[in-house]
Amino acid sequence: MNNRGGADMPVDTTQIIKRTLARRYRREARFRRMGLFAVVLGLAFLSLLLFSIVSKGYTAFWQTFVLMDVHLDAGVIDPEGTLDQEVMFAADYGGMIKASLRDTFPEVTQRREKRDLYRLVSSGAGFYLREEVLQNPDAIGKTIQIWVPADDDVDMLMKGHFDRDKPEEDRRIKDQQIAWVDRLVDQNRIELRFNTTFFTAGDSREPELAGIWAAVCGSFFTLVITLLLAFTMGVATAVYLEEFTPKNRWTDLIEVNINNLAAVPSIVYGLLGLAVFINFFGLPRSVPLVGGLVLALMTLPTIIIASRAALKSVPPSIRDAALGVGASKTEMVFHHVLPQAMPGMLTGTIIGMAQALGESAPLLMIGMVAFIADAPGGFTDPSTVLPVQIYLWADSPERAFVERTSAAIMILLAFLFSMNGLAVLLRKRFERRW
Amino acid sequence: MNQGSADKTRVDRTARKTVGDFTHPDPRITCRNVSVHYGDKCAVRNVDLDIGRNEVIALIGPSGCGKSSFLRCLNRMNDTIEGCRVSGEFRMDGNDLYDPDMDVVLLRAQVGIVFQKPNPFPKSIFDNVAYGPRIHGLAQTRAGVEEIVETSLKRAGLWEEVKDYLNDPGTSLSGGQQQRLCVARAIAVNPEVVLMDEPCSALDPIATARIEELIDELSELYSIVIVTHSMQQAARVSERTAYFHLGDLIEVGATDEVFTKPQHKLTEDYITGRFG
Repeated sequence: MNNRGGADMPVDTTQIIKRTLARRYRREARFRRMGLFAVVLGLAFLSLLLFSIVSKGYTAFWQTFVLMDVHLDAGVIDPEGTLDQEVMFAADYGGMIKASLRDTFPEVTQRREKRDLYRLVSSGAGFYLREEVLQNPDAIGKTIQIWVPADDDVDMLMKGHFDRDKPEEDRRIKDQQIAWVDRLVDQNRIELRFNTTFFTAGDSREPELAGIWAAVCGSFFTLVITLLLAFTMGVATAVYLEEFTPKNRWTDLIEVNINNLAAVPSIVYGLLGLAVFINFFGLPRSVPLVGGLVLALMTLPTIIIASRAALKSVPPSIRDAALGVGASKTEMVFHHVLPQAMPGMLTGTIIGMAQALGESAPLLMIGMVAFIADAPGGFTDPSTVLPVQIYLWADSPERAFVERTSAAIMILLAFLFSMNGLAVLLRKRFERRW
Repeated sequence: MNQGSADKTRVDRTARKTVGDFTHPDPRITCRNVSVHYGDKCAVRNVDLDIGRNEVIALIGPSGCGKSSFLRCLNRMNDTIEGCRVSGEFRMDGNDLYDPDMDVVLLRAQVGIVFQKPNPFPKSIFDNVAYGPRIHGLAQTRAGVEEIVETSLKRAGLWEEVKDYLNDPGTSLSGGQQQRLCVARAIAVNPEVVLMDEPCSALDPIATARIEELIDELSELYSIVIVTHSMQQAARVSERTAYFHLGDLIEVGATDEVFTKPQHKLTEDYITGRFG
């Protein structure tokens, strides 16, 4: 317990240690508090971000609809009574919507007032009517009731984003229009309904007709290309460099270059894609194929670095064991090392894919920023991607695009979470096999 | 302390020529003038040694004396170590092991190895043993593989303990069981020589005794080269013993002679526990 050192060690070591203990514990407590603070701060910022996005964006999942009584005039829709789809397709449904509006508000007679009246419903209301008629041709000649989307300004009014107390000239909706909307509300002809358009449509100049589906498809096709190329090439490169090449100056050089590539700004990859894939190889612009190629190049270094780290972390005893029973080098790698490294490789891949999913700069360079209203049907159809769609909407002046921007961010995050979830599942599966 | 340093001054440090007969009347592997270098460091220097048919030969010596390096030359496991150079002549049944045409995969199937630390594959017990036979195509059917697995595990003395848990991961076994699993894995490919690199260093006396019994049984079929730090173990299991010191092979001989009448000063110091 004490004085083991005898005369030349007069001080009790236990005492010395005890004296230092208080200081050491203080240091530990301080470090813990700092760590806790950092975590709390991080969580606070994250929840602030999520709160701001969700609180701004959740209203976009609802859309104001107006109930209209529309007389389906057989003379307009199908004058010859042939039920020919093409004839019915080309009829003036917008005119019928307008006629219906005039019937609902018979006191409106002046041209200018009429124009304001027509602005209550979306300019795309006719498409909804057309859809209805093409599905139920029996209704031609009768008067039907149909819910059509309201104009985005009416929508904003209904959602309380416009201040009614402001002077008329300072808001996008006129006093007269507010009065009409109030009358519709009294007649129970206007209500907020779930906004399916947002999930099924492509981009549009009219917020009430704009949807995220085309961008989701575009992102999906782009990421499929990215995943296929970046994962296979990344893993193959990592395995080759880590397991098969001798360590020499050339492999060092390659390693340094790969590490440098991981730090290259993403827009540079966009320039490269523009110069090489589009200008030199003549691939079409704005298509997921080129986007995927560019993003694959961008993600490749991340995946290679993560995969090499994963391969390095496989214990050498496993390699010895495999070689010891007479496995060839390739068998050793593919039977033992690669399966062991796979969870780590998947983690790296998911980080790379998440990066690729959120990337917009290089895609702007290859033309994926174009206005594209239709969902792409394949890898070579012009399309846009989620982050670019968010950027485009954030840039739009209409008030209704603000909530749609936030909603699109939510979709992007959901996309990301589901991708990560899938990767975690895959990783669990690989880990459980051992 | 004082006694030790006095002894060391008596050791003739220049006498590094191998004492005893390094040849064997019926050799399986003959090694001549073997040196192993790691970069600039010399781990094994000019060693001559024969490994006899169906004999158990123990390699003993203090840590870092080169016995593991020498062992790993015998199935070219040193090939995988960065910067490791092996020179000298190795012949197994007359074939040069380090011939560029020599097939390493074939060699390692013929010369199996059990490592110091149990290193089962992170797979089921069955797959651990079945892996070698499968890649070498030793059995064409599932039943054939099962038979090999069963006989190998039985010979390794593990069958009774694991026969109901063949699908459990090999890593879930205890240390001694894992080592026997590694032995079963090594003998499943029916090697002609088995190399053991301190197979019992991580095991308790009971597990060690089982491995030693196993070595006895296996020696009827295979040549066994065992590296060990335990002189009792060397005395118990081996027929011949080779004593390495700082990269030199100091003394080779029949085990009982080496342990009872060591000829070289270094050997005597080591086995009497004066250093090591």
